[in-house]
Amino acid sequence: MRPEACAAAREALPVQTTAPAPEAPDKTVREGEMEGALQVVGELGYRGASVRAVLEYSGGHRRQFYEHFESLEDCFAQAYKAWIERLGVDVLEAAVSAPGWQSAVQAGLVRLFRFVSERPQIARALFVEVEVAGGEPVAKHEEALERLATALDSVRGEIEPEAAPPQSAGMFVVGGIEACVCEVLAGGSEKRVWDSLPELMHLAVGTYLGPAAAEEAFDEARALLERDRVRLRGEEQ
Amino acid sequence: MRPPLELLPGNVADDGPFSAGQPLPRRLPRGRHGIPSNIVVEHQRLRLIAAMAEALAEHGYAAVTTTHVSELAGVSTSTFYKHFGNLWDCLLAAYVWSADRLCAEIEVAVEGRAEDANALAIGIEAALAFFAAEPQLAQLLGAQPPLEASAVIAARRILVSRLAAMLRRARGATEPGEQPAGLDERLLDATLAFLHGRVRAGEAARLAELGPELVAILERPRVAA
Repeated sequence: MRPEACAAAREALPVQTTAPAPEAPDKTVREGEMEGALQVVGELGYRGASVRAVLEYSGGHRRQFYEHFESLEDCFAQAYKAWIERLGVDVLEAAVSAPGWQSAVQAGLVRLFRFVSERPQIARALFVEVEVAGGEPVAKHEEALERLATALDSVRGEIEPEAAPPQSAGMFVVGGIEACVCEVLAGGSEKRVWDSLPELMHLAVGTYLGPAAAEEAFDEARALLERDRVRLRGEEQ
Repeated sequence: MRPPLELLPGNVADDGPFSAGQPLPRRLPRGRHGIPSNIVVEHQRLRLIAAMAEALAEHGYAAVTTTHVSELAGVSTSTFYKHFGNLWDCLLAAYVWSADRLCAEIEVAVEGRAEDANALAIGIEAALAFFAAEPQLAQLLGAQPPLEASAVIAARRILVSRLAAMLRRARGATEPGEQPAGLDERLLDATLAFLHGRVRAGEAARLAELGPELVAILERPRVAA
């Protein structure tokens, strides 16, 4: 992935990527409620979530919650916006720090999978239950996917025009990655997301650079999993 | 456009408006119509299934209720519960019904193609026409089902596997060959997600234009020579 493409995508994100200043207690409570909303939606589903369940997770009082948010839907929408943008920045930053497009794609996927395995409930809210929420969260979700597709497309400059994939390639690949993430999250087997890394690398790289590069990317991803299985999956020795 | 309703073969009457090959009315006639009770019950079930996809497209997963579905189907909520245990049971039936229709459309188009026609292009063209005519089914089949609808998640996997098998047949191979196992399923997952995104963006009427791009992506060689 070309650094300038990632930088452009990152600049488009209205979030703070450096360490924030110490926060006021009320802001911390508010952010706890937002995290709680995502956590509860991930656990109980959007239709099953309630303010009570959020407060059981985050602590605090109902009155304080309604001072921060108009409703649970409002809280979820604000939380969704903040977390999906933050995750997008994290993925792009991991990608931009890797040498070359192919390594960047793998680094971005590794960062995404780490989030999925470490915060599965939040990931369920971000990728699965957003469809239930609809409205503004879905719009933010689409924006995030389009940024990632734009970043993937940065490799086009290195492809001969006659070998270039169709314009839809970026959204196609991103859709495939997300569908895979949703499948493991829906099955409650988030650690297994790592098993799909070689396949997804084949899908992404093959769509842009053809079969030889895809096979190389597949083998590299498989080697990474064999080498770093314990570290990546967070498994005990 | 509302989808056609077709009764199961075992429920087809020997003659009259509910015999094989006759278009099925969306509403049964009022009053004493003499239609066998098994056909009435099956007709209600099909109306509920078709209404589920429409209600979902109209209200979204967050707000859709059994009342919405029943009203669209023209039955009472008590009739709804005679057919389905809850909303998610009805959603599963709607998903399976829609998936069967999609696969049938593709198979009919591919089998009836000219000898020199590209099976993949014909299949994609049929799928895009199906979704363009009934965008609510693109949303139903392409969206990630919510966690509560766990059976629908399994039904989605089955649909993806069926489509992947069709993709392999279109390529002239029934087995994945040397490419990684599961790659075709990922390609089809990506296709469904992509089409769902286009429909959600209000581009259902332009789906046919995506045919050449999808063919180009799905036809890209995945195994090095």
